[in-house]
Amino acid sequence: MNILEIKELSKDFGGLRALNNLSLTIEQGQIFGLIGPNGAGKSTAFNCIAGVYAPSAGNIFFNGHRINGEKPWNLCRKGIARTFQIVKPFATKSVLYNVMVGSFAKTGNRSLAEEKAMEVLEYLQFVKQKDMRAGNLTIADRKRLEIARALATEPKLLLLDEVMAGLRPSEVDDMVEIIKKLRNRGITIFVIEHIMRAIMALSDFVVVLHFGQKIAEGTPRQVASDEKVIKAYLGDEYVVSGS
Amino acid sequence: MTHQTINKTACILAAIIALGLPLVIRSATYLHILVLLYFYAYLTTSWNLVGGFAGVLPLGHAAFVGIGAYASTVLFLQYGISPWIGMIVGGILATIVGILIGLPTFKMRGAYFALATIAFAEGIRVMIENIDRLGPFVLNGPRGLQIPPLNLGLGNFLFAGKEPYYYIILFMLAAVLMLTYSISRSKLGYYLNAGGEEPEAAMALGVNVARAKLIAMAISSFLTALAGTFYAQFTLYIHPKSVVSLDLSFEIAFIALIGGRGSIAGPVLGALLLRPVSDFSRIYFGDTLPGLHLVIFGVVLILVMIYQPRGLQEPLTRLYDQLVDRLLRRKAGEVQA
Repeated sequence: MNILEIKELSKDFGGLRALNNLSLTIEQGQIFGLIGPNGAGKSTAFNCIAGVYAPSAGNIFFNGHRINGEKPWNLCRKGIARTFQIVKPFATKSVLYNVMVGSFAKTGNRSLAEEKAMEVLEYLQFVKQKDMRAGNLTIADRKRLEIARALATEPKLLLLDEVMAGLRPSEVDDMVEIIKKLRNRGITIFVIEHIMRAIMALSDFVVVLHFGQKIAEGTPRQVASDEKVIKAYLGDEYVVSGS
Repeated sequence: MTHQTINKTACILAAIIALGLPLVIRSATYLHILVLLYFYAYLTTSWNLVGGFAGVLPLGHAAFVGIGAYASTVLFLQYGISPWIGMIVGGILATIVGILIGLPTFKMRGAYFALATIAFAEGIRVMIENIDRLGPFVLNGPRGLQIPPLNLGLGNFLFAGKEPYYYIILFMLAAVLMLTYSISRSKLGYYLNAGGEEPEAAMALGVNVARAKLIAMAISSFLTALAGTFYAQFTLYIHPKSVVSLDLSFEIAFIALIGGRGSIAGPVLGALLLRPVSDFSRIYFGDTLPGLHLVIFGVVLILVMIYQPRGLQEPLTRLYDQLVDRLLRRKAGEVQA
C-alpha cells in the first residue's frame, strides 16, 4: 500500500519556482531517499508534505486522503512527524520535557506522556541525558533529540531532514543503525540526506532533485551511476571523463 | 526526608506565616501595603500564564483589571447585585475581550504584540474616560465611581477593617498559584512553553500554538478581572487612571521581568522585592520626589536584565536548592554517625 503519494506538486515563492511538477510514491515500510544539490527544493518538498507551506499546484495523498494545505499539528496527529534540518530544541527545557511535548500529541495525561517519553528515550539509548538541558547537548545528541521528539508522537511516516549533517563518521553509523531500527518498527521513513555513504546504505529507493525538478529515480546504485545526477552534482566535465 | 518533603514543609511554613501576619501587624498602613503586595503578586501570576508560559509580552492587562472593577461596581451600585456575582460577570466579560484581543494579535511577534496590546488597553481606557453613560450603565467618565461603605458584610464584599481583605486576597493568591502550578505540569503548560520557545518545532509536534495561547489568554484575563473587583471593593473608589492605566500594565510586567517570567515563584518574588520599594519611596519621597519608585524600578530592571536575564528567581532557587541539599546531607551524616 502507498502511504504517501505526491502528484505533480509545485511550489512557487514569488517568481521563483522551488518545486516543479514533482511526483513520487512511497510504499508502506520503505526507506525512501531524497537527494540533490543545495537549493534543489528538498526541504521545500518536506515543508509542503508537513503542512508548513500550502502547495501552489498538485496534490499530496497520505494513506489515500488528500492532505493539501492541512495544518502541521493536524498532520502530526494523523501520523506524519518530521525533524528539522536546523535543529530546534526547546533549549531551556530538559530532554525529557522536549520529548514529552511530542508524546502529548496522543494523550492528555501527564504520567502516560512521561511513560511514553521514557520508552522512546530508552529505545534510542538516551536515558542518561534525560535531565540535561536541551541547549547543552552536543550536535549529535540534538539530532537524536529531534528524532526522539518526532518518535514520541507515534508517527506512521517520519520525515528526516538531514539528520546526519555535521556528524562524525562513527556517529553517522550510529544514526544509520537507529533509522534501520525504526523501519523494523514499522515506520515508513522519508529521508533527505547529503551523506552519500549513508543514503546508499539505507534507502530502498531514491529520487534526485535538481532546481526543483526530478532528474532521476531508482535504487541507490542506479541513481549513483546516472549521467544526469553526476552532472548535477559535479558539473559537466566529469561526465565526459567518467563515461 | 527528601527534597520534596522539605519543599512541602517550606510551603506550609510560608502559609502559616502569611495566615498569622495580621495577628502580629496591627498597623493598618502596613496591612494595606501587604494587601497591595498580594494584589500585585496575584495580578502578575495571572499575567504570567500568557507573559511567562506563552513567551509573549502583553502590556495591556490593566484593561482586564478595569473591566472587572467597573463590571462589578456598576452592577453593585445601580442594581444592588453582590460584588461576588459581579466578580464572575466581570471575569466572563474580560475573557471575551481577552479572546477578541488575542485572535488578531497572537499572530504578531515580539514588540509588535506588546504594542498592539498597549493600543487595545489604551483604547479601552480612553473609551471609559469619555463615556458617562453606556446604555443603562453609568460609568461617570473620568470622575470614576465611588462605593459608599454602607451595609458592611461578606455578602456585599465590604468590611470595616483591613483583615478580611487581607485574607480574601491571600486566598485568591494561593488559589491562583496552585492553578498555575497545575497548568505548568499539564499538557497546556507543555504546549505553551513549547510554542513560546520554538513555534515551528512545536507545530510539527502536534501543538496548535495559536489555540494554546488563546486558552491561556482566556484564563489569564478572567483571573485578572477578579482582582479588579477586589481592588474596587478594597479602595472603594475606581477611576480610569487608577484601574485601566498604562502604569498598572507596566508595573505588572516590571514585577514579572524582575522576578522571573515563566516560573511559578518569579511573580511572587518580584512583588515581594518591588512593592515595598514602591510603597516606601512613595511614603518617604512622595512629596519631594514623586515618581521616584518608577526610576528605582527602571534601574533595578536594567541591572537584573544585564546580570540575571531570567529574573531573580533563578539565583534564589539555586541558593534554596543548595541550602536544602546541605540540610539533607547533614541529616544523612547524622544518621550514619
